[in-house]
Amino acid sequence: GLVLSVVVLYFARSAELAGARSETVSVPQRITSLQLWDEVVKRHSRLAVLRDQVVFAVRQEYVLLGDQLLVLHSGDEVAIIPPISGG
Amino acid sequence: MNEIEEEPKDFIKLTQEKLSVDEASVLVTSPCCGAISLFIGTTRDNFDGKKVIHLEYEAYTPMAEAEIKKICRDVRKKWPAIKHVAVHHRLGLVPVTEMSVIIAVSSPHRIESLNAVSYCIDTLKATVPIWKKELYEEEYSWKENKECFWTNMEK
Repeated sequence: GLVLSVVVLYFARSAELAGARSETVSVPQRITSLQLWDEVVKRHSRLAVLRDQVVFAVRQEYVLLGDQLLVLHSGDEVAIIPPISGG
Repeated sequence: MNEIEEEPKDFIKLTQEKLSVDEASVLVTSPCCGAISLFIGTTRDNFDGKKVIHLEYEAYTPMAEAEIKKICRDVRKKWPAIKHVAVHHRLGLVPVTEMSVIIAVSSPHRIESLNAVSYCIDTLKATVPIWKKELYEEEYSWKENKECFWTNMEK
C-alpha cells in the first residue's frame, strides 16, 4: 500500500521519554491508531509505559488508541497527547 | 452605538507573559451587559505535603486554541445570552501566587456568565492540550487533570 511521511509531535512526558519534540516518520497511508502507536514505540521504546494513558491528535482531532482506521495525508501532524493538565 | 461593535467575540490568548485581570475584564466589557464573571487560576505553594517551587506549562498551541474556540462555541449554544468570552492561559514558568489562567465572560444578567465561567474552566481541564509540570524541591511531576476526558473512559 501507499507509504507517506507524517510529522510526529511529542509533548510533556512523551517528549522527555522520546528525547525529541518532533520528527518525520514514514507510515502506511491506511493504518489503525494502535498500529501507529506501535510504529512510534519502535522508534522510542521508552514510550511504551505511556500506552494506557495517551491519545493521539491527528490533524488536531483527538483519536483514541484502538482499531480506528486512519487515512493519513502526506505532511499530517500526529501528536502524542499524554494526560492533560491545563488550567 | 455602532451595532458591529456589539457582535459577540471570543478572546483567546496563550502567552508567556504575565496575565492581567484588568485586560481580560476590559475585553469582555459591553454596554449591554450588567455582569462580568471571572475565574482566575493561580499557582499554589503545596501539593501532597511537598513544597511547590513553580509550575511550568507547555501547550500544543494551535490545537489548544482550536479546542478553546470549541468551548466558546459550546458556551454560546448553552447560554445564548452570553456576549463576550475571554480565555487567557499563561505558558512557561508560573511562580507561586501568579496567575496561570483567566476566564472572563460577560452577559446581560449574572446567571449566564457565572455558569459559563464554571463550564469553561471545567471543560478546559478536560479537553485542551496544555500540560503542567510541577517543580518541587527534590523532584518534579507532570500533572494529570482528573477531568481529562480519556482517562475517565471505561477501558
